[in-house]
Amino acid sequence: MDFLALLMLLVIDTSASWVRMFAALGLSILISVLVGIYAATHPRAEKLILPVVDILQTIPILAFFPFAILIFIAILPGYIGINAAVIFLIVTSMLWNIILAVYESIKTLPLEFIEISEIYRFDRWTRLKKIYFPACFPRIVEQSILSWSIGLFYLVTSEIFSTGNASYKVVYGIGVAFTALPALGVGAYLLGILVFIAFVVATRFLFFRPLENYAIRYTRTEPKITKRRYENILVGWISNRVQKTPAAILYKSVRDRTLRGGVESHIQRRRHIAASMEQTKNYWKIVYRIIFIAAVIGVVYIFLSNPTVLGYELQVLPALGASLVRIWVAFAVMLAITIPLCIYLTFRSRQSSKYMLLFQIIASIPATILLPAIAVVLSNYNFHGELVAFVIFVLSGIWYVVFSIIASTRTLPQSIFEVQKIFGVKGTNAWKNIYLKAILPGLITGAMTGIAAEWNASIVAEYFTTSGISGSNVISSVGTGLGKLLDLSLAQGPQGLGLMAVALLNLVVVILLINTFVWKRLYKQVSKIYGG
Amino acid sequence: MEMIAVKDISFFFAGSKLEIIDDVKFTVNKGEFVSIIGPSGCGKSTVLRIIAGLIPPSTGRVMLYGKEISEPNSKISFVFQDFGLLPWLTIIENVKIGLSLVDIDENAKDKKAMELLDRFGLSGFESYYPNALSGGMKQRVGIARALASEPEVLLMDEPFSALDELTAETLRGDIIYMLENKNLPVNSVIMVTHNVEEAVELSDRVVIMSQKPSEVKKVIHITEKRPRDKRSKQFAHMVDQIYAILAQ
Repeated sequence: MDFLALLMLLVIDTSASWVRMFAALGLSILISVLVGIYAATHPRAEKLILPVVDILQTIPILAFFPFAILIFIAILPGYIGINAAVIFLIVTSMLWNIILAVYESIKTLPLEFIEISEIYRFDRWTRLKKIYFPACFPRIVEQSILSWSIGLFYLVTSEIFSTGNASYKVVYGIGVAFTALPALGVGAYLLGILVFIAFVVATRFLFFRPLENYAIRYTRTEPKITKRRYENILVGWISNRVQKTPAAILYKSVRDRTLRGGVESHIQRRRHIAASMEQTKNYWKIVYRIIFIAAVIGVVYIFLSNPTVLGYELQVLPALGASLVRIWVAFAVMLAITIPLCIYLTFRSRQSSKYMLLFQIIASIPATILLPAIAVVLSNYNFHGELVAFVIFVLSGIWYVVFSIIASTRTLPQSIFEVQKIFGVKGTNAWKNIYLKAILPGLITGAMTGIAAEWNASIVAEYFTTSGISGSNVISSVGTGLGKLLDLSLAQGPQGLGLMAVALLNLVVVILLINTFVWKRLYKQVSKIYGG
Repeated sequence: MEMIAVKDISFFFAGSKLEIIDDVKFTVNKGEFVSIIGPSGCGKSTVLRIIAGLIPPSTGRVMLYGKEISEPNSKISFVFQDFGLLPWLTIIENVKIGLSLVDIDENAKDKKAMELLDRFGLSGFESYYPNALSGGMKQRVGIARALASEPEVLLMDEPFSALDELTAETLRGDIIYMLENKNLPVNSVIMVTHNVEEAVELSDRVVIMSQKPSEVKKVIHITEKRPRDKRSKQFAHMVDQIYAILAQ
């Protein structure tokens, strides 16, 4: 195939993928605005929506893809069905953080804004248009950029995955193209990656950058304290002189009273909001427990009543254990790389912001895009399947850890860096007392999201089949693993549904348990000390 | 005796012609309390950071006992506006950060830090984390940490401005008491402030700076003995005089 034809083909494939992405993003924002605003303005809905979103955003939904394919194909005719499944999947990857962003934007809206809409008696639509939507616009844009790169991972992975079975194959798409590229040589593969990066960069600068610039006008900024302070010196000096007149004293007492009333009611309302959030938290705990207990009871019941399910469970447990070990080993390697890297960038070179854009672009290249190439390159090594899975796991999760650490250290006040210099904190003293502790909050959130990303990758990383490379063979496969098990049960068609459901249930339970009893507990302790 | 000499320092960001500070010069004698006051954004905090060796000046030099300061050293210590406490360390661990460059063993550091906490009325709080403390207590920890290594010069960047007025008043009173009783193991103090009364209350000399690009407008001597009566005529006169110079 000559260069131009290949380039054309790649552009068509990537465009097809991008159409899916934009459709998913549009849908996600629409749902987020509706759900987010509803949750923020209806205390009852809030208590249900928040915990559900919180759980769903930490579950690796990509693992549900085989399940979703079966469902969608059963409802919609083949070609539309698989595309609907892909778009649905991308939406489930993009949605949660945008919902939370909308919710938080509305929830932190100064009371005055709501009061204005009450004073002028805005109808529902005007309120939405003039207050709610502008208020959440900046954070929607900010979170959309994040969602976009998460979505790309889902897109490519689901497209690659679809090529494993001729009957579920997506026709055009960059993920599909990548499975065919290794056969065409290194040059073609690199060209594919370049086209992909070009699309990523173009989207960043031609789509998101203008939106970011547009969002600035809607961004609420806190008034600068330092500026006010100096004004206060002069104002205070002048008003000191004016306050001596009797009229001024009378006026002051009246003003003080009204002012105090205003401030107090404001504080009361704030307290009320804080209390309702606290309540939500408690409620969340209860809901969490109910879901957990219900799941346990459900599983036990099904097991006792049905020997086939018990058989499924015995198949699932070793697979789940193998995947857990694999994923945690990869996570340990990730930490060994990211901790020194992030500490170097934030504390030693102090230039993390310089690399941020570069990192964002690299990070938006989904690790799974490299899967066909890695599978081919590593094909001569022993433990080929394990090696492929390990590399893909590390590449899938590592950026979440990096970004989350850098994002959390960026909020450190300047004085902390100055303290280090002034008092000459160096060597092990600095590692023990400053570096490792400063990155801890970011590390915890990064661990949760990074490990979820590894699980997401597992459906292709542990068992990679494609018709793109050498017929329809299995290209790489681990001994046993949950991702592999899900793939194999999809190949059985509707008969595989039972095994799949048991596997997914196990996965969700294990992840919720680890998140609740390890990460969230740790995070709670840390944020108590660090002051949230 | 001249201790610190700020010699014609100016500062601008590389690649930008906009001068933040322009030919600032003044000296600080041994045993003196000097305040730097000026409009906000005039670069007074930058001057303090240059003296500390945190930022290199674009031109000019700062001398300590005739030797140029080019990086932070243990003779000069710093108190931060936002306290600069490490939130993940306990109070005593935070104070021990101030002893990083002091070559004594861990037990001696603990003992020294406890002594300081005791002197600042913080004994009993050593195993608390900073976020459990009030602003006034946090700044006491900040000052205790700064004094731990027994520096010659203490630099304070708006040390009371993040505190409410009552707390600030108390802490200022404590500092005056320690200065008068030679309880503070420092020779000289340089404080940046935006609060004129605070400067008059504490300082031997007040360096008044102008708008950007800022230079020294005037240096005022205050000879009256501390503690000073804020309601006295002389005090009010001094405050008015400084306001008049600032407004010029």
